[in-house]
Amino acid sequence: MRAAKSYVLMTQSQTQKDDRKDFLATGTSRSAIIINGALAAIYFFAILFFFKRGDMTMFWILIAGEVFHLWQLFTYLYTVWDTRYMPHFDPTCEPAVDIFVTVCGEPVEIVEQTVRAIKGLDYSSFRVYILNDGYVANKPGWQDIESMAARLGVDCITRKAPGGAKAGNINNGLRLTASPLVAVFDADHVPHRDFLKKTVGYFGDPKMGFVQSPQFYKNHAKNAVTAGAWEQQALFFGAICMGKNRLNAATMCGTNMVIRRSALEEVGGICEESIAEDFVTGMFIHQRGWKSCYVPEVLAEGLAPEDFLSYTKQQFRWARGSLDVLFRYNFLFKRGLSGAQKIQYLSSVSYFLSGFVVLMNAAIPLVFFFFGVTPLQISTMLLAAIFLPYIFLTIYVLQSSTNYSYSFRSLAFSMAGFNIHISAMLAGIMGKKSSFSVTSKKQLSGNFANLVMPHFGYVTLCLVGLAVAITRDGLSASVMSNAAWAILNASVFGQYAAAAMPERAIKAAPSFSRTSRKETARSAVTS
Amino acid sequence: MSTREGIITYADISQRTEEGRAGSVTSAQTVAVLSMLMLSVIVLSVLIFSNQSLRLDEAQSLWQTSRDPIAMFRIIAQDVHVPLYHIMLHYWQQFIGNSVAAARMMSMVFFILLIPAVYITGKRAYSSSVGLFAAVLVAASPFLNWYGNEIRMYSLFALMTVLNQYFFIRIFMDRPSVRLASEKTADVKGHIWLGYILTSVIGMFTHYFFAFNVIAQIIFFVAYRRHFPKPAMKAFLMIALLGVILFVPWLYYVYHLGAAANTQPALSEPTSIDIFNTFSQFLFGFQNDQTNTILLSLWPLVVLLIFLSLRRNQKIEPQTAYLFVSLVMPILLALMISEAWKPIYLTRYLILSLPSLYLLISWVLSTYPERLAFFLRTALVSIMIVTMAVEAVSAATPVKEDYRDASYYLESRAKPTDVIVLSAPFTIYPFEYYYRGAASVETLPLWDQYAAGPIPRFSPAELKSDAAKIEDSHQTLWLLLSYDQGYEKQVKAYFDTHFQKTDEAHFSSGIDLYAYRLRYDNTSLKAALKSISGPQPSGQKGTLG
Repeated sequence: MRAAKSYVLMTQSQTQKDDRKDFLATGTSRSAIIINGALAAIYFFAILFFFKRGDMTMFWILIAGEVFHLWQLFTYLYTVWDTRYMPHFDPTCEPAVDIFVTVCGEPVEIVEQTVRAIKGLDYSSFRVYILNDGYVANKPGWQDIESMAARLGVDCITRKAPGGAKAGNINNGLRLTASPLVAVFDADHVPHRDFLKKTVGYFGDPKMGFVQSPQFYKNHAKNAVTAGAWEQQALFFGAICMGKNRLNAATMCGTNMVIRRSALEEVGGICEESIAEDFVTGMFIHQRGWKSCYVPEVLAEGLAPEDFLSYTKQQFRWARGSLDVLFRYNFLFKRGLSGAQKIQYLSSVSYFLSGFVVLMNAAIPLVFFFFGVTPLQISTMLLAAIFLPYIFLTIYVLQSSTNYSYSFRSLAFSMAGFNIHISAMLAGIMGKKSSFSVTSKKQLSGNFANLVMPHFGYVTLCLVGLAVAITRDGLSASVMSNAAWAILNASVFGQYAAAAMPERAIKAAPSFSRTSRKETARSAVTS
Repeated sequence: MSTREGIITYADISQRTEEGRAGSVTSAQTVAVLSMLMLSVIVLSVLIFSNQSLRLDEAQSLWQTSRDPIAMFRIIAQDVHVPLYHIMLHYWQQFIGNSVAAARMMSMVFFILLIPAVYITGKRAYSSSVGLFAAVLVAASPFLNWYGNEIRMYSLFALMTVLNQYFFIRIFMDRPSVRLASEKTADVKGHIWLGYILTSVIGMFTHYFFAFNVIAQIIFFVAYRRHFPKPAMKAFLMIALLGVILFVPWLYYVYHLGAAANTQPALSEPTSIDIFNTFSQFLFGFQNDQTNTILLSLWPLVVLLIFLSLRRNQKIEPQTAYLFVSLVMPILLALMISEAWKPIYLTRYLILSLPSLYLLISWVLSTYPERLAFFLRTALVSIMIVTMAVEAVSAATPVKEDYRDASYYLESRAKPTDVIVLSAPFTIYPFEYYYRGAASVETLPLWDQYAAGPIPRFSPAELKSDAAKIEDSHQTLWLLLSYDQGYEKQVKAYFDTHFQKTDEAHFSSGIDLYAYRLRYDNTSLKAALKSISGPQPSGQKGTLG
């Protein structure tokens, strides 16, 4: 009986899922990675060289999209080839740390929760500073933050001179503090007690510039938007960031991080010229030869945007900032970054170019419906024969490398956010100024269907186009095949658009509720 | 909680998890559903499938099993199959009767048993609901209903494969957890191993392609060895040795007798289209070209289904990997062998992959959100039922072989002075089963089916002399062409250019009849023409030439 009971406990621990750990248990077989790469190459070269071409404009649009997909796939495979590398950790390294909590109008109770957690950190020498930007940002109740700081016995630095948004706020804090290490937390990111114990040790290496930990969303199960936002994050903060460690190319994410003051000072502080200030600053630090480290453990927990508008704004800001890096900083031709680092930075920023590629791919069935032209003139089954093994293995590698953290919803959010990415890209090309805005920490109510009008428009065009194509060609193989592609695109867009509907926002995310039912059942088994 | 002496298996956890879900079915409901499914396939058989004309393969089975056991062994050894099914059919006919319906009934029995077999496999691998929906797919399968009513070994083959997979899955799923396995020895019970051995041996003697099932298991075992109990390796080697000991005498006998007897249809080299046709036929049965094209063109929806299967924490468990290997490996092996040696790719030979496909579909759908899963399940089963109805009633169904109507047509038209010529020669089996007319029957190339030795190969040079021998003093030659072996056009062209075509009729897909006037010097000609111009049986498309 005792044996049975101990086994029961073991089974429970084995089978229970921990959302804080699952996405970090990465790893996939290298043979799968190699075969995946080979199948992708076969597919690409087959459509490029061996298949009969149709309309040349459509053909080259298809090829351009496939080149982009190939780039994304190969950089991903290259990144996740080895996700186990970690730099040396020196547990005796315990220099003083200044901890910055950046605040710009967030609710006091949220900030207070973060500060209380920071005060309780298990570390020998640190000092907490609330960097209050409420005054310069003209946020109501900015004085409440000062009162709260006084009540909790921590320093509060309220800027009076505006400029540089969050970056300016941090730089202002840097000028008024002196510890060799600086930790930064957004107002809603509550650190675990061992945050510094688990991160500072990497600074035992004198060349270590910054240490980043995951940006986990503790409210991820609240609704479809938070779930979608987190599932996208999980891919990045799981396999991708862990793989970047091997290449000394960790991404600085602006919160839950520790930076060496001297490294930061060497690059002139946090970059104030970009709305992706963290990303750019990380790149500058790498350029100066500093090392970086990503700690694959959830050491702080924050909040995801809870409504579709906040999510869209956040994605736009990230896209705009990242594309800004591509257009303005020309990092590929600058000295200092290694080849691997350049590939990693280019891979990160080019993700936001995918909006155009998604739109181009989605347009292919529409063009066929209305004009009867296709990029290739081959048997649809021949295309299937080389495409299906490639896409199947890609999905497998994606899933196994992320420890099955990726979901249809994250795919849908990534693909269907094409309009955000395109808007950001156009804004970047036209040099339109975008201001830094703090992601709302409270759910905004309302109907955000207007944000997914492009998706509704696509579905409408597909329906009209299909009618046109059937009238013209009947139920031909090409019509059916393109109809199936249109259904695929519409389904992906539909999942995304559903999150914008008001009634969907309050519902629990399906895959999480499903998981929790399983867990309930498992608990029932093992209790 | 079923803790066998304190040991919980993964299968237990999986089942308990399923029981914890809302909407899971009770045992009584399961039995009721399975009974209804079994009853439905019987009803379908009685009303539709068992009334169809005897097909070539079936006629061969009947002819082969009508011999004494020794002769039967020899004929089968020279053919492309292993003997178990024929032996069973031989004795079945002795007890049940030798009608077509009685012979088909044996296949139906195996098909009926396949339904609960798939259910228990799905239940063991995943859950009761996954097993149940897979069983629904089996019952609604146009492909399985077709072969569940055919006098061939395919339903037995599918049944043995599933049972063998069931025992195989139990071997690695019944073991204690990985950590516990290091503390305790294996807990796979003897009857599981016994079941595995029996189904392996029966499977081996049911169809040569059962070897692909074994190869899939070997590949899985190598890749997932740590999931098996420690003594499994030794046990598998012993079973392999037993298999070799039992099978080598048969192989020696086949080798000793020499080449196969040209009784099998010539196969063409498979292409990518054949692979997709296999999947299309597995799901939607045998459809005409247009319908098949529409179904296959929808393949991008498979990409969508793959995308939809992206679920957090929905891992690919070993049983899923095994079912995937057992689905894909036989198809790949058949392709590779067809490429490297000689064409062996036939969808019906690959029926062993079908249960794995249904189980995987059922599992994938079970991972979807409930409403989506319900919609997709309903849509899939509805389409399968519709395509089964089309397959059953449409004259254009490609696999239909209406030798019965062709025979009746000739019976009512061909005179004693006429000759009926069948090409390919082996189509004489189903034709003779029905034909009771007075005209003599010949084949092209000329072949005496009762003489030992293979069917003579077609030679264009000998066509004229063979035709001359057949012409003899006959008045009209009725050329029944089916199962094109690559020379059908030459045969028809010869008669078209040498004789006057007086009639033609087309039966099911690929069975075409042409009448040629051979002589003009016989008074019986008038009588024959008068007979030809008489009323035709309903349902035929015969036209007087």
